[in-house]
Amino acid sequence: MSGWGEERREDLAQRIRVEPDGTVVALSGKIDFGQGIRTAFAQIVADEIDVPIEHVRVVLGDTAETPFDFGTFGSHSVAQEAPLLRKAAAFARRQLIERAARRLALGAERLDTEAGAVVGGGRRIAYGELVDGRHLAGPIPDEVPLMPPARRRYSGQPMPRLEARDIVTGRATYVADLRLDGMLRGAIARPPSRGAKVRSVDDASARKLPGVVAVVRDGDVVGVVAERDEQARAAAAALEIDWEITPLEGPSAEVPMRQDPGVDAALAKAAKQVERTYVLPPIANAPIGPSAAVADVRADGATVYVGTHRPFGIREQVAKTIGLETASVRVVPLITSGTYGRNTLGDATLEAAILSKGARRPVLLQWTREEEFAWSPSRPEAVLEVSAGLDDGGRILAWRYEEHTNVHTAAGLEPRVLGMTSGRNAIPPYAIPSASVVLRIEPTRLRTANFRSLAASENVFAIESFMDELASETKQDPLAFRLRHIADPRLRRVVERVAERSGFGEGPGERRGRGIACTIYHDTYVAQVAEVEVSPAGAVRLVRVWCVVDPGEVLNPDGVRNQVEGGIQQSASWTLLEELHHRDGRVVTTGWDAYPIATFRDAPESIDVLVEGDPAAPPTGVGEPGAVPIAAAIANAVYAACGARVRELPITRDRVRKAIAGR
Amino acid sequence: MKRTLTVNGAGREVDVAPSVSLLSALRDDLGLTATRYGCGRGQCGACYVIADGRAVASCLLTVDQAARMEITTVEGLATDGTLSPVQQAFADLDAMQCGYCTSGMLISATALLDRDPEPDEAEVRDALAGNLCRCGVYGRAIRAVLTAAEALR
Repeated sequence: MSGWGEERREDLAQRIRVEPDGTVVALSGKIDFGQGIRTAFAQIVADEIDVPIEHVRVVLGDTAETPFDFGTFGSHSVAQEAPLLRKAAAFARRQLIERAARRLALGAERLDTEAGAVVGGGRRIAYGELVDGRHLAGPIPDEVPLMPPARRRYSGQPMPRLEARDIVTGRATYVADLRLDGMLRGAIARPPSRGAKVRSVDDASARKLPGVVAVVRDGDVVGVVAERDEQARAAAAALEIDWEITPLEGPSAEVPMRQDPGVDAALAKAAKQVERTYVLPPIANAPIGPSAAVADVRADGATVYVGTHRPFGIREQVAKTIGLETASVRVVPLITSGTYGRNTLGDATLEAAILSKGARRPVLLQWTREEEFAWSPSRPEAVLEVSAGLDDGGRILAWRYEEHTNVHTAAGLEPRVLGMTSGRNAIPPYAIPSASVVLRIEPTRLRTANFRSLAASENVFAIESFMDELASETKQDPLAFRLRHIADPRLRRVVERVAERSGFGEGPGERRGRGIACTIYHDTYVAQVAEVEVSPAGAVRLVRVWCVVDPGEVLNPDGVRNQVEGGIQQSASWTLLEELHHRDGRVVTTGWDAYPIATFRDAPESIDVLVEGDPAAPPTGVGEPGAVPIAAAIANAVYAACGARVRELPITRDRVRKAIAGR
Repeated sequence: MKRTLTVNGAGREVDVAPSVSLLSALRDDLGLTATRYGCGRGQCGACYVIADGRAVASCLLTVDQAARMEITTVEGLATDGTLSPVQQAFADLDAMQCGYCTSGMLISATALLDRDPEPDEAEVRDALAGNLCRCGVYGRAIRAVLTAAEALR
């Protein structure tokens, strides 16, 4: 969904800059929050412009430096940016060779490059010298000759992330670690429920507390700015605010996503009909580092230091919030805690900007853990109703699917957008002659928005659990049943490979079972096998996971593995442990005790990720796909282990016991 | 109120209310921001420091209590620019994604290896069970700690 396909006409100067000392600066509006794109981009650029990777500096998302970008979502960063940066770097190299050719009065064809210099005719000129105040520029052509693969030193090689050393020494500056001169701390007074309006504020006692510099109100945002964090929090708690409570409801909509004719008739005349309902609770993004922002608002301009997926969008929002021209606001993204979609909304950024404007000083605002759970947007609940009709040979003839959920992004309610976000992966990847797929957005009081993989995890849980149930209802092997309905050769390959690698079908032992699931997520092909052990009391332990992923051309195989492993681990936590409780839109599970996530003790013995990208296909994203099929793979494994079919997440021991009893 | 904290082998003076948390004093008074806020309730491990040889949540210690202890933060793990074996192993194995929780893991792992240089995998899991990681690098972190233990032998 990123960009919705707008035309790009880019100039080299927006993408690659060579500094006098030979540093190559690569510019992208994308953001790295742990998915490793800074490293992947540096690999490409170092190879194409031919410099050691230590000489590449990747600038991401700084609105004063980088070209406009719509946002970092949907595992698109590498797919969208890699080809462009590669072309830009190759184009830059060609320009450097041409400059050297003119200077040496030699034909460009007699020159080559080597580690940051143009060489030929017994001469060597460093890139920095060739720039000499005149930056490389010009429209990046569609076709640029690229480095032959044999000369690529970094792309395709496993590499630890470039930030690793700063992270392990503690030097990395996360947003909440920034310390500006004269910086104060902020805290916001939270309402009793979402959407409440301020009737009046009595700040007399709050103002008397130590360290308080300002009490700031802008509409329904009320906060305190103080010398220290503890002081700001204490004073915010001491504000007496009269709130008018007005419950908010989420939107409603109906989006037909696939409507083949004759689905009803085909279902009615099928030899076998199966109908099931799957349910997923709301869950939290639950970043380890709560939302934070630093704002420095002056009369004539503002700088905000933030974690965000969309620096340019946030720039506009900040400008509007504090009444400045967009051009006088600079957004500087800093390294942040992973937020898995949550940072698409700039809540803390806008609040920090309001506080800084009110106090006329730079302000750091970091939410508390309770605020992060209570006021962040969450993944909405989902109810998936699915039915299928099969012929007497056990082949699917017709499919009906209704997805009931709420919005998964702040991207808007246009049906086409909803279909790509809240309806993501609702259409099964199988060859089914006749299908009806409808997305129904139903009201909720919970604040819902961007979450890793959007609705794909919910839909694929339902579709892949259902595929297993169809196989079992018609006495077919779940692997063979999937394969006979797969037409796409890349999907077939990952499914076959994961089955081979895991020894799917071999008996894994007492109380253990293996389950398989697959999907195509934004052109990334992924298949997984989970092995679980179910205790007599119904407790599920994830023992190991095998995954085969085909993300097209692979730039950093270890980076891909790390992302996919993380997606599996995180999604296993959603599947087995997580459920957010809320009342009238207010989340009541606001700590790690009430909302447990997987710990070191829950991590599986191994997560085997085989990256087998089709080198001829363009690189696709890996930040999300790993998280998508694992819920169904686990549910299918639980069924294989003990015959319990759990259709509602999380898969608690209670649900497993009930499912066993209900067999 | 003035207190002297012993952090990374040096005496550091802070002038704050005695009830202020060690976490705040490290971050806001001493500029040691590798120790991070995650929950303020000792439930996530992001703010772990080594206090008298044990990994503890600095959000739950007051400055007053901490003044009687020897404190080590992530900033004190490397020696003259050379990474400690635990730091090196985490970097080499890319046992991190966003890295926000990494400091706390490094602290738990260092405290573990100081008291038990040859832990098995289960002991590593137990020692780091208080460190939550949302990006899901548990498997790599376990391998990193075991690799560091080998390097220390």
